[in-house]
Amino acid sequence: MRDLHLSLNQTQRVRLEAALHELQSLAPAAASAAAVTVADTIPVNQEDNILKGHGTSDQDGEVVATLCGVVERVNKLVYVRTLRARYKPEVGDIIVGRVIEIAPKRWRLEINFSQDAVLMLSSMNLPDGIQRRRTAVDELNMRSIFEENDVICAEVRGFQHDGSLHLQARSEKYGKLERGQLLTVPPYLVKRKKQHFHHLAQYDVDLILGCNGFIWVGEHVVVGEKTKTTEYQQKSSDDAENFTPLETRKHICRLANAVRVLSALGFTLTVELIIETAEASVSSNVEVNNMLGAEFYVQTAEREAKRRADLLRKKNGAR
Amino acid sequence: MVGLSEGEKHFIRGGISQDIRTDGRRRLQFRALSVETGVIPQANGSARVRLGATEIIASVKAELGKPSILHPDKGKISIFVDCSPTAEPTFEGRGSEELSTELSVALQRCLLGGKSGAGAAIDLSSLIVVEGKVCWDLYIDGLVVSSDGNLLDALAAAIKVALSDTGIPKVNVSLSAASDEEPEVDVSDEEFLQFDTSSVPVIVTLTKVGRRYIVDATSEEESQMSSAVSVSVNRNGQVCGLTKRGGAGLDPSVIFDMISVAKHVSEQFIAHLDSKISEAEAAAE
Amino acid sequence: MEFVDALTGFRVDGRRPNEVTPTFPFPTAPPRVTQSHSVLLLDFAQMRQLKGEVGVVARADGSALFEMGNTRVIAAVYGPREVQNKGQQVNSKEALVRCEYRMAEFSTGDRRRKPKGDRRSTEISLVIRQTMEASILTHLMPRSQIDIFVQVLQADGGTRSACINAATLALADAGIPMRDIVTSCSAGYLCSTPLLDLNYVEDSAGGPDVTVGILAKMDKVTLLQMDAKLPMDTFENVMELAIEGCKAIATYIRETRKINGLNMLKIASHKWITHRVKGLLVEDEWLCPVQWTGNS
Repeated sequence: MRDLHLSLNQTQRVRLEAALHELQSLAPAAASAAAVTVADTIPVNQEDNILKGHGTSDQDGEVVATLCGVVERVNKLVYVRTLRARYKPEVGDIIVGRVIEIAPKRWRLEINFSQDAVLMLSSMNLPDGIQRRRTAVDELNMRSIFEENDVICAEVRGFQHDGSLHLQARSEKYGKLERGQLLTVPPYLVKRKKQHFHHLAQYDVDLILGCNGFIWVGEHVVVGEKTKTTEYQQKSSDDAENFTPLETRKHICRLANAVRVLSALGFTLTVELIIETAEASVSSNVEVNNMLGAEFYVQTAEREAKRRADLLRKKNGAR
Repeated sequence: MVGLSEGEKHFIRGGISQDIRTDGRRRLQFRALSVETGVIPQANGSARVRLGATEIIASVKAELGKPSILHPDKGKISIFVDCSPTAEPTFEGRGSEELSTELSVALQRCLLGGKSGAGAAIDLSSLIVVEGKVCWDLYIDGLVVSSDGNLLDALAAAIKVALSDTGIPKVNVSLSAASDEEPEVDVSDEEFLQFDTSSVPVIVTLTKVGRRYIVDATSEEESQMSSAVSVSVNRNGQVCGLTKRGGAGLDPSVIFDMISVAKHVSEQFIAHLDSKISEAEAAAE
Repeated sequence: MEFVDALTGFRVDGRRPNEVTPTFPFPTAPPRVTQSHSVLLLDFAQMRQLKGEVGVVARADGSALFEMGNTRVIAAVYGPREVQNKGQQVNSKEALVRCEYRMAEFSTGDRRRKPKGDRRSTEISLVIRQTMEASILTHLMPRSQIDIFVQVLQADGGTRSACINAATLALADAGIPMRDIVTSCSAGYLCSTPLLDLNYVEDSAGGPDVTVGILAKMDKVTLLQMDAKLPMDTFENVMELAIEGCKAIATYIRETRKINGLNMLKIASHKWITHRVKGLLVEDEWLCPVQWTGNS
């Protein structure tokens, strides 16, 4: 979770403030929901059987907040949502993780959760693609599939009875990610959508938005080539031909910087927004590394304010 | 520091060889630098420097002491570095001792000159109050609050800024003291002497990855390095100190090349740092 | 040494001994006078000026900077994350809370080289850990570890209390569920007057020093330490005063968290030039608290 540290001069400060004010004012009326700090009482109607969700606890018959955040009510559920917290897994989430350890018949992955997640050998496709029982030889060859520090894309399978989180990577689209960079953003910026794998054809880049806040931006890999990992490793030497082509690399860096700027501003990350930000940087002739500078930062905030204002106007106009 | 997978390492190496690094910088480009002075009011001088995500707080404290017998006409300076566990959980307990010692020694080598005091960044004889009896002892402390690579450069920059912010109180010595007695000194609270930091060098670390060198490596890029050479250069382009880290052997011609690249880069860096210092001082008033 | 001036009733830094009315928002007054200057008439809270700010260490899950007068402390929280050292994990149904307290070498008036792990640091680490452990709902995060690191940048008395307050803010910033806000304050007894929130000069005068930590809303004491000696009834007064101080700090913390949570841009006048912007912006159904702090 990185915030950008920028020196803004006076005009930039004023512009940024104006843009942020406008964004706040565009908030719907529900924005007046109550903010609570730890140990504040949440006003509830005692007769409705209120379900106490995350961030609440029962003390002397009152519902008391245990987190600092905003109170959300959904039907009979009352819970407190914080701004920054570790990832909260749900079954079916697509996540990106890094292998920490290889244990008997499983890999342990770090996924920005309060514990490491477990990927069982049986939840992973074998390199030869045959569905068969995992033998001892397979167990000894685990390293040939995934090593320590590898970046892997997988799906949450569920919680076991002992509380640990299990993942599965059976489909072709999951597996090792190479040739790219991994970014970390706060998990609340990635909303659960239908699709998390995005192949940006115009750039030849893969963009994977993991629900746990790990974002992968890398060269495009055709699905199906992922299993040919052993050959790949032999080829990866320092020859200039094997490096990512310069054009693709530029696009990857632009997209990565767009993600960094958006996460520093606190905007929810969607593919469209990321692409729009990257294109805006090209059209304003901003150098790739200057995307992390103050001017582009302020411009992005202003652009987003304008976009939402237009959206709201269209919505109101359509009514 | 988190480890990196083979694919990521390959990507980083490719970026360095193609002159476009993971955040879009060129090989010889520094990250955003921000500087602030006077952050520790209790110290004689202090600074907080941010280079990208690396954050350093440096403070300079001056105390009266006795000069050493070998150098009765020189004051004393000592430099210490501490890595706070807030930067990295691995720095807790004694985990940061090795790194702190390495950084302290490298800074001492670059800024303090040789055993005779020759070549020191600060003129030690300006720290003398009464020759042979009373001198100023300067204690320079660096604290690493947040760590993302290139700690040495950031520390040297922070020390330079802190020294430019330092005011040594004026001392009035009572002239009636006999030569074998301890002279009375009256430390003024009001008047201060600013330090002349024009000869304080900065350190530029060149990290060699593959066949190229980069400046201002992030911690990810540092994990890929085969070796690193830190060159301390002052405003006149003179080399004040040199440290090589990393196991790989370097051809001597490569080292000369790296030194000249460091000198070239340091010119811009010193100019940039100086402008930031004057900005910070102007803002402080 | 006249810690409490007989005529005017003011202390060495111009505060009154025992009013407890922190004004809010706190005025950005010039720094407190030290004993070499004459006593000025400063008409506000006689607890020292408080300032709390979150998000100072980007890499940590939660972090905070807390100032009480000239005492300045940074706290960083890493966690909950996987237990690094399985040997330390005693109870697998609860989270493991670890804490380390460190002073910077330039933090005290006379610079002293202190080795890491000296007795005072170890003791304070233990105290902070036990105090925070009492408040964190550890059973909600089994088999995980929460690290609290506290770094003192400037020490001017009351470091223990400032550390606990900073740790509370950092834990709240990290989104770790807690029973209640833990705040702490110290009080002493000099020149026959109970004094709230001692600074270094008053602390080293040799009088008693009572440090109290409370769970603010539940009104329960979690930390109580005292050195030197006090008669029993005086002790009660001093402890009451310290508890009032704690409650005032809790109010301050609550107000700043509420302000941060309620779409108010806090543009403080800054000495730090850089700005760190952190916030959510509005999507259709999500709220956007925007918190833009110019660090000051």
